[in-house]
Amino acid sequence: MQATFQALTDAFVPSVQPEYASPFHETDMGVHNYIILSLNHNISIQQQLNHHIVPLAYPTAIMLNSAATQLVNHHQAQAFPQCLFPGGGMFSHLSRKDRIRTLAALGNLDIDLYVLPSPFQNNAGMVKYVTDALSRFSLFGYYSEWPAYGSTRVLPPDDRCLEFFPLTWQQVGYPGVSLGYRDFRGFLLTMAEVKT
Amino acid sequence: MKTDPDVIVIGAGGGGPVVAKELGELGIRVLVLEAGPWYGNKKWHEPNENRGITKESSNPGDLDGSLYRQQLTRLENDMNDPLSGKFRWGAADRRRTPWYRNIPDRALLWQSAGIGGSTMHYYANSPRAFPEAIEEWPIDYEELIPYYEKVEATLPVEFAPTVSKEALFYYGAEKAGFSMNQTLNVTSSGYRPQPNAILPPNEHLMDPNYSMEELSHMEGCTLSGHCGQGCPYGPSLEKMAKRSTTVSYVPLAMKTGNVSFRPNTFVTKVLTEYSASGKREATGVQIRDTWTGETEELRATVVVMAAGCVETPRLWLNSDLPYNPWVGRGLTNHYMDMVTGTFDEETLMEILGSRSVNPFIGHTSGGRLDYPGLGMIETIGESPGLSAQLLFGFSQYGYNSLHGSASDMWDQRGRLVGSELEKAMEDYSRTLTLSAITDDEVQFHNRVELDPHITDEHGKVPCVHYEPSKKSKKRREQLTKIATDILRQAGATKVHRTDLPSNYFIHLQSTMRMGYVVDTTCEAYQVERLYVADNSADYNALGGPNPTLTTQALATRTAELLASKYFT
Ligand SMILES: Cc1cc2nc3c(=O)[nH]c(=O)nc-3n(C[C@H](O)[C@H](O)[C@H](O)COP(=O)(O)OP(=O)(O)OC[C@H]3O[C@@H](n4cnc5c(N)ncnc54)[C@H](O)[C@@H]3O)c2cc1C
Repeated sequence: MQATFQALTDAFVPSVQPEYASPFHETDMGVHNYIILSLNHNISIQQQLNHHIVPLAYPTAIMLNSAATQLVNHHQAQAFPQCLFPGGGMFSHLSRKDRIRTLAALGNLDIDLYVLPSPFQNNAGMVKYVTDALSRFSLFGYYSEWPAYGSTRVLPPDDRCLEFFPLTWQQVGYPGVSLGYRDFRGFLLTMAEVKT
Repeated sequence: MKTDPDVIVIGAGGGGPVVAKELGELGIRVLVLEAGPWYGNKKWHEPNENRGITKESSNPGDLDGSLYRQQLTRLENDMNDPLSGKFRWGAADRRRTPWYRNIPDRALLWQSAGIGGSTMHYYANSPRAFPEAIEEWPIDYEELIPYYEKVEATLPVEFAPTVSKEALFYYGAEKAGFSMNQTLNVTSSGYRPQPNAILPPNEHLMDPNYSMEELSHMEGCTLSGHCGQGCPYGPSLEKMAKRSTTVSYVPLAMKTGNVSFRPNTFVTKVLTEYSASGKREATGVQIRDTWTGETEELRATVVVMAAGCVETPRLWLNSDLPYNPWVGRGLTNHYMDMVTGTFDEETLMEILGSRSVNPFIGHTSGGRLDYPGLGMIETIGESPGLSAQLLFGFSQYGYNSLHGSASDMWDQRGRLVGSELEKAMEDYSRTLTLSAITDDEVQFHNRVELDPHITDEHGKVPCVHYEPSKKSKKRREQLTKIATDILRQAGATKVHRTDLPSNYFIHLQSTMRMGYVVDTTCEAYQVERLYVADNSADYNALGGPNPTLTTQALATRTAELLASKYFT
């Protein structure tokens, strides 16, 4: 499962040079873990006395591999003989572009929904919702401060603490939490002017 | 509150606290029930970690600005993660999942539970509705004006200061042939600063003798750009710069001595009885404590629903109230899109005298262009994670890289991945993003209904369906083109269009429409003593302007009418 989500973030987000990826040596700064956490922290329902969480990460990994297999079988994607992410399924045998093709096919429902695992089987709404969320989660995980929670990043939110300044914030020129900026250029209009 | 309150208000978001404050001032005793946590109240020192030392709070002395500042960390993942952020639709305890809504599509329905509700993360844009849109309502625009004025004075509302991104926007709008609209009552197209519920910058902001640390404890906006993270800057809780209801109407309501707020309390049912005259009337509510699961029934003379556009109809439907085909129907969401222009340093130097726009500086949205008949366009400057997610990670167009050559209009469109994404984000500090916000048509088929199969601890969960009308689609297309033109005129060298999915919800409105579900006083036609005071009472989407000010004006009016009907 881990490998499938590594293959996913590898296709979505820029790879970080290994020297910057420290202390974790992950080119996605561990964002695949954020996706797994998010998918497993999404839905809970009530059944009789039980309040259940519906874990979505595992069935989502199966869905990605199943869709990849369909694309390969229909010659819409080409599988490398070797697995690019050890332990992964068919999705991890595809080039980045073909992984994106697979996601596009899922998003457009251009696949056989019957062969997908529950809760995705013949459930177009759920397939669209989750496929889309994969991209949102990847980008939000990567460009927010999440990776900088470092060794605490997979703990419950109130137990996390920032261990360093987020690398992506540095790259894009965002100074992070700010007390304010001296960029006041005056008022174009005031309430007093429109009230008279 | 030891004895029964006179009025129970359900929800402490955009609308609820307004009703509470107005009624409190008239000597009417109000209990506000809120599903989410309370930030900035000493009775809940660690509001996400335990249930605190009491159930409700009515003493303004409980409010604490430094606690608020400590809790609102201004970090976008900590605050805004839709699943586990402090501002999310879910219980205070973040180890739990959010409360589920079934939206069978690509979707982001962005609401927040807690005292302040979705105004905790809103940008505080507080324009009035377009008068021409109110013409379709069963009440007149003129009738709303005194209530608009009252809310504008109370929040208070002031036009946004100009910072780099707004200066660039006004420059582009002017070159695109628009002129400034110097008014609050918009009848023709033009640009203007946003009327925002944000305190104007402190007069010393530009004076280097005052440190930013000092300024952040003084009154006035520091242009920190943290509107979406709640903005905890100011000398005390009720003087925080961004006027979420938590820091505006909630303290004012408490000061009347007649209003108590109870967080962590989910209303699961509105209770009704038949009156002597045979009419169905509200008598109270059933609640569930979100920490302990304990349930209780509470009674009042009048019940006001202000749970937002999804939960108000859901609560009606879960309460077995009389059938009305329009409950949950007519949902509008301002069918939005985003375009992002990238500028080179020389162009910016010429226009702004600096090499970057730094879109994260200033009010998150400080400039707007009104266009009656189509909607509006506004500037947006979010932090990097939210920007990347919404601009480049969320689209109905698909992946830019799979689509071959782009159109004449846009250099890129849809989702960006890998090196394209990296490049786009590298340019972040030299971008300006404009949001196109459509005058969305009311359609019966757009709706909130109960999911027949899925139940959570509060009953059947809501299922949300939305598909814009042909007219809304056309209007969005036109607005997006105008926004693109403004960026080009300002000198953008590259323009990216997001093409947002239709189920991107931030301005939900009109699911309990006036004239269909509630009458012109916002009392339910079929249930007496039951009122609605949130975005759901709107007859339509206001022509495009951001909805909250109108909800607050209407809530002020509703409080007055309710008081004179039941409490004189
Ligand atoms: C990113 C973003 C930016 C925005 N910016 C602007 C802006 O600049 N200007 C603008 O006008 N609008 C803006 N909006 C929209 C704005 O947030 C809403 O218009 C406004 O908050 C709606 O008020 P409301 O009272 O209808 O609902 P809410 O503010 O959502 O309040 C409803 C409250 O009821 C509570 N509740 C729900 N169900 C129950 C229940 N059963 N029991 C007890 N409590 C319950 C909720 O927890 C919540 O606190 C923005 C929204 C987003 C997402």
